[in-house]
Formats: sequence, C-alpha cells, structure tokens
Amino acid sequence: MRPRLAVVVLLAALFWPFGTGGFAAPARDTLVYVSDISDMISLDPAVAYEFSGILVAQNVYDTLVAFEGEDLSTLKPRLATSWRIRDAGSAWKVTFKLRPGVRFSTGRPLTARAVAFSLDRVIALNKSPAFLLKDVAGLKEGDTKAIGNDTVEVTLPKTASPQAFLSILTFTVGAVVDPEEALAHQSGTDRGEAWLRNHSAGTGPYRLERWDAEARAVLVANPNYWGPRPKVSRVIIQHVPETSTQKFMVASGDADIAANLTPEQAREMAGDQNVKIQRGKLLQLVYIGMNVKHPPLDKAQVREAIRWSIDYDGIVRNLLRGEARKVQTIIPEGLFGFNPATPFQQNPARAKALLREAGLGGGFTVELLVPTGPAPGGVKWSDIAAKVQSDLAKSGITLQIKETAQAQLLNIYRAQKGQMVLILWGPDFPDPDGNATPFTDFAAKSIAWRNQYDDPVAARLAKQAALETNRSRRLALYKQLTDRVLHEGPYVVLYQPTTRFALRKGVQGFVWNPMAFAEFRTVSK
Amino acid sequence: MSQYLLGRIASTGLVLVGVSALTFFIAHVVPADPVLVALGEHAREDQIQAYRRAYGLDRPVLVQYLLYMGRLAQGDLGVSIRTRRPVADDLREFLPATIELGTAAWVVALLLGVPAGIVSAIYKDRLFDHLCRIAALMGASMPVFWLGLLLLGNVYYRLRWLPGPGRLDIALSPPPSRTGLLLVDALLAGDGAVFGNALLHLVLPGLTLGLFSTAVVARMTRSAMLEVLYQDYVRTAWAKGLPGRRVVLRHALRNAMIPTLTIIGIAFGNLLSGAVLTETVFAWPGLGRYATTSAVSLDFPAVVGVTLVAAVIYTLVNLVVDLLYVRLDPRVRYD
Repeated sequence: MRPRLAVVVLLAALFWPFGTGGFAAPARDTLVYVSDISDMISLDPAVAYEFSGILVAQNVYDTLVAFEGEDLSTLKPRLATSWRIRDAGSAWKVTFKLRPGVRFSTGRPLTARAVAFSLDRVIALNKSPAFLLKDVAGLKEGDTKAIGNDTVEVTLPKTASPQAFLSILTFTVGAVVDPEEALAHQSGTDRGEAWLRNHSAGTGPYRLERWDAEARAVLVANPNYWGPRPKVSRVIIQHVPETSTQKFMVASGDADIAANLTPEQAREMAGDQNVKIQRGKLLQLVYIGMNVKHPPLDKAQVREAIRWSIDYDGIVRNLLRGEARKVQTIIPEGLFGFNPATPFQQNPARAKALLREAGLGGGFTVELLVPTGPAPGGVKWSDIAAKVQSDLAKSGITLQIKETAQAQLLNIYRAQKGQMVLILWGPDFPDPDGNATPFTDFAAKSIAWRNQYDDPVAARLAKQAALETNRSRRLALYKQLTDRVLHEGPYVVLYQPTTRFALRKGVQGFVWNPMAFAEFRTVSK
Repeated sequence: MSQYLLGRIASTGLVLVGVSALTFFIAHVVPADPVLVALGEHAREDQIQAYRRAYGLDRPVLVQYLLYMGRLAQGDLGVSIRTRRPVADDLREFLPATIELGTAAWVVALLLGVPAGIVSAIYKDRLFDHLCRIAALMGASMPVFWLGLLLLGNVYYRLRWLPGPGRLDIALSPPPSRTGLLLVDALLAGDGAVFGNALLHLVLPGLTLGLFSTAVVARMTRSAMLEVLYQDYVRTAWAKGLPGRRVVLRHALRNAMIPTLTIIGIAFGNLLSGAVLTETVFAWPGLGRYATTSAVSLDFPAVVGVTLVAAVIYTLVNLVVDLLYVRLDPRVRYD
C-alpha cells in the first residue's frame, strides 16, 4: 500500500492549486522589477561598475550632487545643499555644504568626515570605478578634507575639469558610506569591502535587505531617510535572463516592470490593456571605428566616402524599428554639448566621386570586425553589419564581415590591429568629456588611440573644453570639436539607441536615467 | 568488494586530474583576455596589470597550472575572475538549485519513461506503442528552449495553473539556507507553504528538462523489455499461471533493468550538466547558467570548478549504477 499512498500524496501536492484562481500578485507596497542581473558582482559603491550593481547602489546610497530624471546637464543638490568652485591659483578648490540632519540607515549622523572617508576609500581600494576619481579628477587620498562637521573641501589639480568632477560625483563612485559601519566589518585592510559587497550602509531612500546572486536583490525603505518616504516600501529586483519570460511575468501581473524587452516584444505588448510601454534614453553610441593607419582608410576622402555610403535612416527605421535616434557626432543627445548635426545620408554617387578623388575609382576591400550577440536597440550586431555591407557595396566597397566574441574583438581593437570595428561606447560619467577625450585625444590611449587617430588640434580642443568653467564658452568649444571630428575623425557614428520597459498600468513615476539606472523612490503603483 | 571500491575511487582521482588539466589548458588556448572581460572596455592599463597580478595571470601558463593544481590538492578551487569570489562558494550557491531541478527532471523521466516503455513493449505495434513512439520522437526532438516558453506561456501565463519562473513565489521568503536545497530546507524549517510552493515551481522546468530523457528512457525500456519478454523463463512464468503484473514486473522488468539503468544513470548526469537553457527560460539560479556565463567570460577557475563537479557527479552516478548491477543481477561480481 505504501507506494500507492506516496503517489496519491504526490499527485495531491501537484494538483492542489488547480482551480484556486492562480497565484497572488505582488503586494501593493512591493515593486517587482525583472531584469537580467547576471552582471551583479558587488553592491559596494567603491567596487560596482556594472549596470545592475549600480542600479542597486544608486538607490541605497546618496551622492553629494545629482542629476535628476532624464536631465544630465543641471546639477541638483543631494547630500550637499550648496557647492562652490574656486580657483586657488595652483589648484581648484571645490567646497560642499552638507545637508543638516541626515542620518545613515544605520542610525549614525552624516558627517563631513564620512564624505572624505568615502572618496578616499574608493581611491585606496582602486577597483573598477576608481579611475574616475584618480585619473579623470586627479584625486589622491587626503585631497578631500572635512572642515568642521558640515563642510567638505576637495582640492583638484589644475589639469582636471571641475565640471567633470561634479558630474562624476553624481555617479555611485561618489556615494557616501557610513565609515563606522564599514570599519566595524573590516577584514584585513579592505575598509569593509567584503562586507559591503552584499550589505549596505548609506543614506539613500532604501537599504539592502538581501541579495541572492543570480536570483534577486531586495531593497526595503530606509526608516532614517532624510527625504520624503518612498511610495513603495519594498523593491525586489528579480533576475530573469530571458526576455520572453519577463514579458509573461509583467503580462500576468507577477512583475511590475520588465527591463529588457526586444522591440518586437514591446510592440506585441502594446496591445495589452494592463501594460504600458515606456522608452528610456541611453547615452550609448553605436559606431564604426576606422584605423587611419590602415590603407586606404588613411585617406580622408575614403573615410568620408564610407560615411556617405551608409543608409542611416534605413538602419534606424527598418532594422531598429525606430528604437534609436540618428546621431552622427561624438557626443550623444542628453549630454551637455550635444551637436545635432546629421549631414550624412546615403549618396553612392557622391561616395564614388570621393573614391575617384582618392584614386580608388575601382573600389577596395576592407575587413569589419563585428561582435557576436545583440547590439544596443535590440538587433543583432551581425544584422547591422550586413546592412552596412550592402550599403557599402553600392559605392563599390567590398566589406568582409568578421564576427568575433566581444572579448576577443576588444583585444584586437585595443592592440590597434582592427581595420574597421563595429562597436559601442557609453561615457563613464555624464559629462561631455566622458566622450570627447576618449574619441579625440590620442594620448588618452582610448578610442582615438585604437584607431591611430592623432589630431593635436582636436585633442587640444577637448582639453580646453574640459577645463572651461563658463557654460557658453564651453558649449562653443564642444561645437567646434564635434564639427571637426564629424568630417576628419575616423568614426562613422550610426545611432544612439533607446531602451524599452513594460510597466503594469498602475505604475507611476518611473523615470529612466540615461546613465542606466532608475530611482525607485519616485515610483508608485 | 571494498578493494573494487578503492580502485574505483583511485581511478576517479586520475580522471579528475586529467579533466582539470584539459579544461585548464583549453581555457588558456582561447585568444582573449579574461581580465578585459572582467574589467570591461574602459579599464585602465594599471588596473589591468594589478588584476592580472592579483589572479596570477601574469605568470607563464605552466606555472599557473602548477600553482593551480597545488591549491587544488588542498581543496582550494581558486577565486572566480568574474564574480571575484571563491569558486567553492559560487558552486555551493548554485549547485543545489541545479541538483533540485535535475532530480525533478529525472523523476519525470523515470515516472513517465519506464511505465511508458513497459506498456509499449507489452502492447508492441498496437495503438499505445505507436502513440508512445510519436511522443518519444517529439520529446527527443523538441528544442528545450521552445518547449519551456510554450509551457510558460500556456500553463503559467494563460491558464494560471502553475507558478511562473524562479524557485519560489516572489511573495514568499526562502527558509534559512542549510543545504541550499529549497525543499529540504523548507522541511527542516517546518515551512509547509514554502515546501509546496517550491515543489510547484519545480513542475514546469522539471517537465521541460525531463522530456528529452523521458523519451530516451522510454525507448530503452521498451527495447530491453522486448528482449526479455520472449525469453523462455518469462514464457515459463506465464505457463505457471502467475498473475500478469508479477510476470512483467518481477520476471521481465528486473532483467530488462540492466541496460535501462545505464541509460537512467547517464540521463541523471546529463540533466545536471545540461540544464543551461531550462535555467535561462525559468530564471533558475543554477549551475548551468553559472557555467555558461563563466565560459563566456573566460573565467577558467570557475569553468574548471564546474567541470570537476560535473566529473565527480558523473563518476559517482556511474559507480552507483555499477553497484546496482550487483543487486539486480547476481551473476555480476566485482571481486
């Protein structure tokens, strides 16, 4: 009898929920955000440099200043109520007045010492985001000083851009950590790094309740938060790698927001009454780099001919189904200094004339390195490459597509060994210098270097623009720089992608920051 | 017998050394840099160098291998380049989910496959046998990914009969982790709601993953049964007037079990290592996804770790199968 009983019990267990009307949707005060979070490695703001880690860190930590919503050009006060940049002769002095009455989720008060500790900690740990403070802002340990309890003074070298520094501070690398809590959990000399990997000690609207790798991160409202109480008291960031599964979860009400829909899935879901589709801006640029030391790409006419061969509108309209913006300059829309010029369109006659001018009337063959997998905007890299190939063929240029895993492609690109490379770039911090220097300064050993593009005029303009503190003069400098690189640079900028979210109808106040995170404190459902 | 066991365990050690060496060197042949993958495109040269030093990647490959094997001999699997955690911790975190899923799939294969095979053999070339053959063909050829989405889209989303992806409903919090196996942990914590919910969450991914093995097990059981059903001793059993169930289960099935058992053993090993797509569709935080992400990131300590675990599981399953042969067939001896 016994085995039979076991079968009955098993079947009963399997079939018991049938007809009970399904499963409970998440509670009203809980927001379920489904996304691929397999890149989550650490939630310590001095270490996190991956999209999902930053998403969590931005919600549990506060920075001194912030960009709010989609606007990345107006600095807003956060933990600092005011700030001032002063030219102190041999250096810049940036002082911040701290917001009174702020406490960490641990209950301890925010102090100027905590700010200095946090910035010094990033520099000492020297993890992925540290270069923003060390290299871009030129900071060393000890350059951030507490003056009294409520004032912080940062000494920046004259070679660094104070504007770029303030932009960097809006990012999680500038997050303020409770020093007592971090040091209480120190192991060795790690300043609490191992512990903060999956715990939090910030002043943000939420604190981290738990993180199960490859499963979920759970945030709960921080009872000590200085600002208005967040509208949803729990946020569950659930790991769902497959986008079709994300779609099912939002459609059935088990999730409130899905983050990684393809353009097709977004279109399918647009017909669902319970769901709304929202677009988010991104600061990425998808571009083709041309190695200017590789003949015939060394000829300016050839590079210009390639730019006049491509059907940019066709890529945006047909391939990406409108999920992108046509951008042709090196600073994306959304950043200060964006140049909306789009002079290039497909014109094979003009391209052929340019090629004849370069003595290549019979055309030529060139290799294009293409990453495997999906490109920003939701199509495959290889599909974009195929389109570019057929466009160039109309001008008599034969493109040999070579698909390579991104890791291997970057190896070749970084060694200056690519001929043409199809790839993307996103700025490390929301300031035009995050694009201008890498794209134009050969000495920065970044993109310009990889394409062997050495233009001292462009590099000088980029430096000048970075250091300029007057907004209108700075804008004019970026205009000059982007116009120059548009024709003389080694780039074919193809598009700036957007991203799509599916939201349950009742979800309000969700705003995607183009630096690729959202602040859940403004969301209600 | 104990001598046999010792020999088997010793040979397992050799297999593991071979497997680790092979995986290690294959991972190093790939012409890409794991550090670049871990640090991303924007990493500065000094960070890359520091990272390389921290993980010993600046040493010659042979030195790296010897150091790695030295640590391995002390039970240290090294630190994952991607997650920056000890590989052993990662494995401890992700293996239980896969064991649970693999076991569920294996139970599906057993519960559906063996009976279907037996009945098909008894009713050879009749309607049920034909239906089973078609079902098995479909089960063996249907892409796992597609089947998973089909089940999710219909059983979870449209009909709302079973819960969706993940190991547990979002509203429920998991019990304190003791074994990592949710079902076991829920029982230990005496939490019936979590146990029931976790069990339900296993049904769809278990079916998805188990269907291929079900087909194989069913076909194997059928052909093994066919071979014995017409043997003299089975005819004698019938002639003695024994009840049908007794003839089929005691006399025929027991003798047909040897080849079936081999297949079932192999299936269990395959289920544990082949769960990548099912884990992706069902957002299952298991070893399969960990293995692929690690492989794509060229994270060789993690890849070698996963390979070793898979090798150990295969070897253990094989050992258990070999030992079961003795119980099933008294003629088999290992002395």
